[in-house]
Amino acid sequence: MRSRRNILLRFGLVVLASAAIASVAVAQNPTRRAPAAADWAALAKLPDFTGVWEVPLGGAAGASRGLAPNSGPSLTPEYAAKRDALRASGREDNETANCLPPGMPGIMGQPYPMEFLVTPGKVTIVIEAYTQVRHIYTDDRSLPEDPDPRFHGTSVGRWDGDTLVVETVGFSPLTQLDRGVPHSDKMRILERFRLTEPDTMSIETTIIDPEALTAPYKTNRILKRHRNWAIAEYICEENNRNFVDQSGKAGVILNNPGGYPQKKD
Amino acid sequence: MNIHMRQAVVSLAGAAILMLTGAGLAVAHHSTAPLGTTIHKTITCTLKQVDWTNPHTWVWVEVPNEQGGVDTWGFEGMSPNYLARRGWTKSTLKPGDKISVLMRPLRDGSKGGMFVSATRPNGQVLRMNGEPSEP
Repeated sequence: MRSRRNILLRFGLVVLASAAIASVAVAQNPTRRAPAAADWAALAKLPDFTGVWEVPLGGAAGASRGLAPNSGPSLTPEYAAKRDALRASGREDNETANCLPPGMPGIMGQPYPMEFLVTPGKVTIVIEAYTQVRHIYTDDRSLPEDPDPRFHGTSVGRWDGDTLVVETVGFSPLTQLDRGVPHSDKMRILERFRLTEPDTMSIETTIIDPEALTAPYKTNRILKRHRNWAIAEYICEENNRNFVDQSGKAGVILNNPGGYPQKKD
Repeated sequence: MNIHMRQAVVSLAGAAILMLTGAGLAVAHHSTAPLGTTIHKTITCTLKQVDWTNPHTWVWVEVPNEQGGVDTWGFEGMSPNYLARRGWTKSTLKPGDKISVLMRPLRDGSKGGMFVSATRPNGQVLRMNGEPSEP
């Protein structure tokens, strides 16, 4: 009897453990069925996002490139103090000068084009600047409850009529909410992508961060499609002669002209 | 229009051009802190080599010095990706080309700066900003 109870107990533990492992496996790597012909055919009914897009470059600069005028994020006292401390530190540049990609949301405002690929269950954004990629899953999966910190976060999307609605969570602390503004690990980014004209795309971005922001920070960006363009290579470390050092001083490396710049210690 | 007015208009136009070129040359991945100022200088030189590389092109030139030799200067330009969409190729500027370069010098006085434009002896001006040449 006792041994039988032990066996039942052990069996129960194995079942529980298996269930736990299975749920972890599902959360991390959902089973996806192979796309069928109907899935490919369904894409033809979606708005045509394919091709290479760029924010028109006239005049605008930096992370605010292409943004409609706005008053900037409304920060909580704690994050306003963090922003002010960063400004007061006198840093002449940020780590992008050392080729660290900006991550989200800054990567969406670079003076380089991006290409949209729409496949069953997924929208992929190939970003020329820093050779980056965003993976947006549109296969009804849920966002992770405890996401790992990533430069582009973890994104899921769904089609709301002709609008692609994307929600992204889980950002690396090395990314910024806005130029010179840090974010908390509670930051979420909502994006609405839609065509306003055949070759014009609007991206409405709403940043929510209950620790950093007193209200959602909304911005809007307009991109133009360039049918004749192809995404070019961008290896930032190929010949990066700019740097910012630990003290925040920015400089330029002029050694080894015509060759690979030799970084200083 | 009297002379003072004309001078004012000319300097205003100059300021507008500097502002425009400054904005047009705004760069993606770093600040303009190493330049420090908005001073523009023209330097007459012979082209040595162009690095058709990311994140920036580099235009290396030889400049005669007071000792009768030459110094190598380097000017950072826009990326090949950006330039290729505006009519430039990797051989738009070739070794041996005689050019005068309008540039923003580095604040630390070292032999380099940011490329703004180049002018050939025949007066042709090569700029790195402008609208894309293909739709």
